[in-house]
Amino acid sequence: MGKAVEFTKINKYFPGVHVLKDISFSVEEGEVHALLGENGAGKSTLLNILHGVYPEYEGEVKLHGKKVHFKDPNQAIVEGRISKVHQETLVVKDLTVGQNITLGYEPLKGRLVDYGKMNKDVNEILKDLDCNFKAEDIAATLTSGQMQMLAIARALYHKSTIISLDEPTASLSQKETEALFKVVQKLKKDGVTIMYVSHRLEEIFQICDRATIMRDGEYICTLDVGKTNRDELIHAMVGRSVAAVASRQKPCRKQDEVVLKVENLTGKGYDHVSFELHKGEILGFFGLVGAGRTETMRAIFGADKRLGGKIYIHGKEVTGSWYSTKALKSGIGLIPEDRKTQGFLTLSSNIDNIAIASLEKYMKGAFMDPKQQRANAERYFKEMDIHPNDPDYLTKNLSGGNQQKVILSRWMSTDADIIIFDEPTKGVDVAAKAEIYRLMEDMLEEGKSIIVVSSELPEVMGLSDRIIIMCEGHINKEFNRDEFKSSDEMLDYAIGGN
Amino acid sequence: MKQLFDKYKREFIVLLATIAMCAIFTIMNSNFLRWSNFLTILQQMVLNSILAVGMMFAIITGGIDLSIGCTFAITGIVVASITVGGGNPIIAIIAGLIVGAVLGAFNGFLVNNLKLQPFIATLGTMSLYRGIAYVVTGGQPVTNVPDSYRNIFNGKMFAGIRYYIIVMIIVFVVAYIILQKTRTGAYLYAVGGNEEAAKLSGVNTVRTKYIAYIICGVCASIAGLVMLASLGSAESTAGTGYETNAIAAAAIGGTRMAGGRGTPFGTFIGGLMLAVLKVGMVVINVDSFWQYVVTGIIIIVASYFEFLQQDVQAFLARRKQA
Repeated sequence: MGKAVEFTKINKYFPGVHVLKDISFSVEEGEVHALLGENGAGKSTLLNILHGVYPEYEGEVKLHGKKVHFKDPNQAIVEGRISKVHQETLVVKDLTVGQNITLGYEPLKGRLVDYGKMNKDVNEILKDLDCNFKAEDIAATLTSGQMQMLAIARALYHKSTIISLDEPTASLSQKETEALFKVVQKLKKDGVTIMYVSHRLEEIFQICDRATIMRDGEYICTLDVGKTNRDELIHAMVGRSVAAVASRQKPCRKQDEVVLKVENLTGKGYDHVSFELHKGEILGFFGLVGAGRTETMRAIFGADKRLGGKIYIHGKEVTGSWYSTKALKSGIGLIPEDRKTQGFLTLSSNIDNIAIASLEKYMKGAFMDPKQQRANAERYFKEMDIHPNDPDYLTKNLSGGNQQKVILSRWMSTDADIIIFDEPTKGVDVAAKAEIYRLMEDMLEEGKSIIVVSSELPEVMGLSDRIIIMCEGHINKEFNRDEFKSSDEMLDYAIGGN
Repeated sequence: MKQLFDKYKREFIVLLATIAMCAIFTIMNSNFLRWSNFLTILQQMVLNSILAVGMMFAIITGGIDLSIGCTFAITGIVVASITVGGGNPIIAIIAGLIVGAVLGAFNGFLVNNLKLQPFIATLGTMSLYRGIAYVVTGGQPVTNVPDSYRNIFNGKMFAGIRYYIIVMIIVFVVAYIILQKTRTGAYLYAVGGNEEAAKLSGVNTVRTKYIAYIICGVCASIAGLVMLASLGSAESTAGTGYETNAIAAAAIGGTRMAGGRGTPFGTFIGGLMLAVLKVGMVVINVDSFWQYVVTGIIIIVASYFEFLQQDVQAFLARRKQA
């Protein structure tokens, strides 16, 4: 078998940073090849070079033995027959599935679009992929798993021989993930080469043949997945051994005092939710995507209106209109699920992103004092080891884990003592995950209380003092730490069992 | 110094272009360099740049305010009626500013509480406010505004500088302080940069956007006050089309149309550039029809600076590494 992709001495610079250093390795035809590394290791940059997003680089890329240098992603798709399925899939929601898949390359009849042929061709591909939606459906009605399939179908429409999947399972449910893996196996059988980027190591062992590991912009090694193990992979990725599993390092600090009490909270997506949060505890919220956890938390933080129910903070009932500014004043902080659209301010530097929720602390009389803001940011940069160590850097240019640390710094700068984490480690690499877990425990030590919403069972089970399982908008079950048994049991409650 | 340059890169480029423009006009007609001509340019830019700085607040939050020309007219009518009727000029001025604040707050209500698109909401109030101006006056101008009022803005200090130049400078300084020194300023940028993220950081986004539209309305009123002082009469048609010039000045000065970025300094330079262009073309006798063509081209070219600047930056970064 030949080589599908060959990288030779790839170098790439961004203003002031050498992001890829002499990367050389190759991917065999028809294999599923994992690309592993922490956030900021250079995986995405390398993929962007391969797919023509960054046309400027040093070194050589060969596809099926032929040297290529794409000017833009379109050329890569059409001439190189190489497609990328994005972390956040790009679909035009108002168009049909068929229009999305053929976008820019619609079959024509004369000068007009031939919709009959379009839908026929697309439906053939969708059927091949075992999809339960049709070319005629509007894209907005698809779930995230189906959108992922749409993106793969688009790659097949362009007869791609190489497909990259960048964190494809990040927003998929268990079932959708399994369906995706089936498709990957099928593509492999058809001779398609797959490059697979994921932070979930279990997945690598499930479907990949070989794995290339990168660290700090350098090539580290390529391992045969069958002949390696989890620890070896992590060690190669991080350069040292880390506890990759969520666990508590410090003693339980749960007290009897109730800091947050919710009674019959009802709104869009959640119904009669009641629970208590104790001081010093980590309360985990587990459930499937769409169980109403995020919606519940947003209502508690005042980001969305609730239709009914009572909220008590430190024993005091919330009255009148309830919005985020008031929530913050009463001591609640929320670290949202989606960093890009809800987390950091896109145009702002790290300093501004850290300071925005606690500006009243950096005043000199009536005016803000930028020096104090900077000093505060520098303190957290040191404490949390954020890379690159530059408070003036735009947050949007950081890697996921470092962005999350900036947002954590934002809330640690406030006086909030009830912190809600919504999917705190989504898209965050192993080392940063461990650090975030450590920071949570530090917060408990300072007398704060934490709610963790997570779809990763090992994370919830490892961290929480108590777990509440939500299903279809209501609380289905509550476990104390000494009652945690199997993840199967938890999952059973999450899908509605009792 | 370098930090200052980094922060105001875009503004400096526009400033350089304006200076280059002045040089060209001077070469074509040396009269351009006279003090009296410089005063003309300043006077020319006053109305537009006061309107533009208000507009900039709305744009920074990701919105826009198309109704400022009408707020401008209504203020003139209200203040003219009070002063012509023998009212105290200071009370008239305060009433004028309140008019701006109320009309601005109504825009804020439409955007915040009814969740209308700012473009559509203020397109509506643009017609609504203009209609009010017509109905109140019956289409007749209010004339013979007393000098006691006019001199407050129109009086000369030294070297032929009129007080309204000082008013303009005060407006810009206050805008600078609000945006750069107060928490409200930080919130304005945050809301424009990413409203959802700002809300989830505990920023009171509703209050912030109200403030932006109120400031925008008040700036329109201040411009209306100045206009009334220099003309001595108020008309319900005053300020028609001024919103587009204000948007142009803000945009040339580097205000990001999608929100989140924009500085008073930049808007000032933007207003200055448009005024230099207008006065300069008169000095070198460009046909008035052609003035529109040239102005249009300059607005387009100036907006292209945004990309030019990124290219230059990338080029410099590459050279640094090589």
